[in-house]
Amino acid sequence: MSQSAVAAERRLQQGMLDAYTATRRFLIRGKRQPDVIFGSLLTPVIFVVLFGYVFGSSIVVPGGNYRSYLMPGLFAMSVLFSAANVAVAVATDMSEGVVDRFRTLPIARSAIIIGRSLSTLILGIPVLVVMIVCGLAVGWRADQGLANAILAFLLFELFAVAIGWLGILVGLLAGSAQAADVIINIPIFLMGFISSVFVDPSMMPVWLREIAYWNPMSALVTAGRQLFGNTIGPPPSGVWSLEHPIATTFGLALVIIIVVAPICVRLYSHSTR
Amino acid sequence: MSDPAISAHNLARSFGSTKALVDVSLDVAAGSVCALLGRNGAGKTTTVRILTTLLPADGGRAQVAGFDVDSQAALVRTRIGVTGQTATMDELLTGAENLETIGRFCHLGAATSRRRARELLEQFDLVAAGKQLVKRYSGGMRRRLDLAASLIHEPEVLFLDEPTTGLDPVGRAEMWTSIRSLVSAGTTVLLTTQYLDEADRLADTIVVIDRGLVVAEGTPEQLKASIGRPFIRVTLPEADAAALERVGRLLGAEAEVSGRSVSAPAPDGLATLGDVVAQLGRLGVPVHEVGLEYPSLDEVFSTVTAHAGSSPRSAAAAEGVA
Repeated sequence: MSQSAVAAERRLQQGMLDAYTATRRFLIRGKRQPDVIFGSLLTPVIFVVLFGYVFGSSIVVPGGNYRSYLMPGLFAMSVLFSAANVAVAVATDMSEGVVDRFRTLPIARSAIIIGRSLSTLILGIPVLVVMIVCGLAVGWRADQGLANAILAFLLFELFAVAIGWLGILVGLLAGSAQAADVIINIPIFLMGFISSVFVDPSMMPVWLREIAYWNPMSALVTAGRQLFGNTIGPPPSGVWSLEHPIATTFGLALVIIIVVAPICVRLYSHSTR
Repeated sequence: MSDPAISAHNLARSFGSTKALVDVSLDVAAGSVCALLGRNGAGKTTTVRILTTLLPADGGRAQVAGFDVDSQAALVRTRIGVTGQTATMDELLTGAENLETIGRFCHLGAATSRRRARELLEQFDLVAAGKQLVKRYSGGMRRRLDLAASLIHEPEVLFLDEPTTGLDPVGRAEMWTSIRSLVSAGTTVLLTTQYLDEADRLADTIVVIDRGLVVAEGTPEQLKASIGRPFIRVTLPEADAAALERVGRLLGAEAEVSGRSVSAPAPDGLATLGDVVAQLGRLGVPVHEVGLEYPSLDEVFSTVTAHAGSSPRSAAAAEGVA
């Protein structure tokens, strides 16, 4: 191997080690915040009750059970909410002196935010588990077999990583934690509600319906419903993203990660407080 | 003398229309302590941020530990330790966990990081606190932990940005002790401060900056000498008016009496002192104490920063010790 290839491999190894150290740090921090853990575990329970029973009692989905229809939507919403949390967390990190400390250390410039992304994914797993348990308790079932269910959750997690990078981007660009909170929550609510996450868009006015159909969140939940076996009827014709929801979600998530992650690394390396 | 550990030439940096640094040059010899002294907003922190690779300069060049801070930033980072003005320790981690994390980031490996963390906690008197979360630390403990974190990889050059600002007197004294022990171990230190006594006590050389310009530099003694000539002060056992007047006549026209002592300019320093002591002996007046006094650094500071760049006096002061 040439000398430069050896050096590159060494840099890659150190970079992975740095990302591991950063992830470890965020995980220790995560476990020291019992109030945050409690809140993030309680939120899915509240959502299942709120949307499954409060709203769900007056929502009828043709040929199906609303709570079964809803659960993939709630998995998708938790993906969005974790992106909002990571945006605020990154904005907070950037306003603290610890950023300068990290930036004067001989570590890979990408390590800290990759660590942030990975730790968000790991800390999201217990939340997902609580949500699955809640779903099972209210009658939701994955009818397409374990393999498809696992594939569905992997797809949700991949999308969570992608949306998480968008959250990191907002956190890096926002001037403060409060700003990040406001900026990220507007698109999250629009993306979450103008979609097939909670209701079937076929009843919406035409212009809104088209937005809802082409919303990537609709592709994500449609993919989930297909893999879990919670679909209600065929997808609307002519909407490619809903006719091929798994490919759409998978492809879009990869594109977002490939485009946004390097931008975030650059922004992080060059940002000055 | 070997190459300087820090060498900066004509550093400049603006933020929008604000010129934080206009022209700052400095050299710090390996193993010495340099204090960058200035008021708030003088450009101290900007200088440190450029030298520690946190901020690119608009103009000028700088080398730290032999590497260019711009083109060889990654190499610079392996050789420096930095303690900034803001606390950089993670509140939700214990002191030991914080140090270990920094050690791992410095690629020391898990075992060495743990060992260095333990050693540093001992060195900085934080053994008991090491197991506690940093959010329970006092201000002084946080600063010491921050300093310890900067040392985990045994850096050649240490940057301390206002290491004692905001600390109570006990905390300051503890920081000073810690910094002095580092210096005796051979680390090169650049510290910024707005406290003259801190610069006086810790530094081998002082660089005074004001509005982004170096307005004076030298050893503490050179700086004091540059501002005014020394004074001779003769103190009598008691405030005897007749005796004070006789001593005053001896010291010349500019003599001033205050309390039981008389002071006057001593243009030739020690030579003047020798003359006066000999003449006092002939005079037969009982004397409690005779000594030379230099202007305080406070006077130096206010003189060089008051009319920076405009007054001939400050220009002369700056040149006189360069």
